[in-house]
Amino acid sequence: MSFALECGKVKRTGFLPAFFGGGFLAGAVPALNMLFRSEMYTGINDSPVSILLRANWQMISMLNILLVIVGACILYNIEYADNAIQRMRALPVSECAVFFGKTAVLAMVSVLLLAIEAVSIGGCAVYWFESDAGLYGEMLKNFSFFLLLMLPSVLASLLTASLCRNMWISLGIGVVCVFAATMIPARNFVLSLFPFAMPFQILADHTEDAVRNYRIAGAAETAGIALLEVVILKIRRLFE
Amino acid sequence: MNIIETQNLTKTYGDFAAVSGLNLHVPKGSVYGFLGPNGAGKSTTMKMFLGLTKPSGGTFVIDGKQFPGDRVQILKQVGSFIEASAFYGNLTGEENLEIIRRILGLPKSSAAEALELVGLTPHRKKLARKYSLGMKQRLGLAGALIGRPPVLILDEPTNGLDPVGIHEIRALIRSLPRQFDCTVFVSSHLLSEIELMADSVGILNHGRLLFEGTLDALRFNAVSRGYPTDNLEDMFLAMIDADNRQRGGAR
Repeated sequence: MSFALECGKVKRTGFLPAFFGGGFLAGAVPALNMLFRSEMYTGINDSPVSILLRANWQMISMLNILLVIVGACILYNIEYADNAIQRMRALPVSECAVFFGKTAVLAMVSVLLLAIEAVSIGGCAVYWFESDAGLYGEMLKNFSFFLLLMLPSVLASLLTASLCRNMWISLGIGVVCVFAATMIPARNFVLSLFPFAMPFQILADHTEDAVRNYRIAGAAETAGIALLEVVILKIRRLFE
Repeated sequence: MNIIETQNLTKTYGDFAAVSGLNLHVPKGSVYGFLGPNGAGKSTTMKMFLGLTKPSGGTFVIDGKQFPGDRVQILKQVGSFIEASAFYGNLTGEENLEIIRRILGLPKSSAAEALELVGLTPHRKKLARKYSLGMKQRLGLAGALIGRPPVLILDEPTNGLDPVGIHEIRALIRSLPRQFDCTVFVSSHLLSEIELMADSVGILNHGRLLFEGTLDALRFNAVSRGYPTDNLEDMFLAMIDADNRQRGGAR
């Protein structure tokens, strides 16, 4: 029920247009890159998906994380702007349920975002590399990996947004985190576990063991941040 | 029979006691006026009833349900309106009530009924952020009234309304126990306001209950203490003033 309720709350906020617009913008990155300098990539001896992802994923993932941060800010701004959160607190619904409803909404639009980008990458692979052998399997493996590594940033953004009544503070924190993430060396496993740095990872850049470790880390961070939010909400109640 | 009862309910913030050892008894099916000057602890008490603020001590029972164990059950029984109205500005009045309706699991018609009760039906499709102050207040009231809960907790519900609106909402509150078989716990800092609505009153000052009972009992109490009884406003002011003086001039 929380998911349906949260979907209803985002009406007229520009939330969905932002994600559709952002998705198309991110999807345009590989297409434009190939349109203007395809000769740089078509000669590389690797799978088309890997080539395209290596060439474009940094930019795409940065757009994705920024959208996730903006989305999280919108989702909590509607609660704080006209004090609707107080109304929710006086109803038989827990704040945790509100948080996880919002998490489900943001995760769902993240899937939508990745789906638009997958269509773009797939389209570029077929058009410029004229090959779709094993394309669908490889795309599925890559994009499910991206989704898993994106979930910690989804939860971390929502956690920040839930703590700040002023949307500009959570937005500022999010933007600082993204820029910090871009400065983290991708090859350093420990540093790359920073929730906002994880979505920059590409399957093709890592060994099977490293990929497994990233998957475990992604799942653990997701669960850890969710647990942290539950604890914070309980502590916050004690001081109200 | 009392539908709300508190036992030594207390809320402190550091050294400051916002509510101190409060023992309230709200009879079922009545309009109970909760009076006190600004900062007396009325809103804090109401927030504690809704679990928005954690009591520092004591406990309370609402409709036979004990806090904090039955908090969710209490919230299902209570319609509330606390301080300023709280709403989703990006949604229409109707959509705001729809969210509350779905959380409470009420029939679809209940949102329309609540809008009708507060006179917002013609404006139901308008965005809540574009409502006037009075309309926001009415939307908050509709949110409290939706589903006809057995207990209504209303914190200064006529704030921001024009004289016509005040009269309408006052008449509505007065009629609620008879119409919907509910109990209304309503706060105000204006005795003249409460006098026209309430069956019994509780007077709070600096977090302490100075008086609880019917309006007749209040008049009798005032006579016995030598307070002016010509009008209730003066009586109320004299009572608060005497308490302040007793506390050493604290206001």
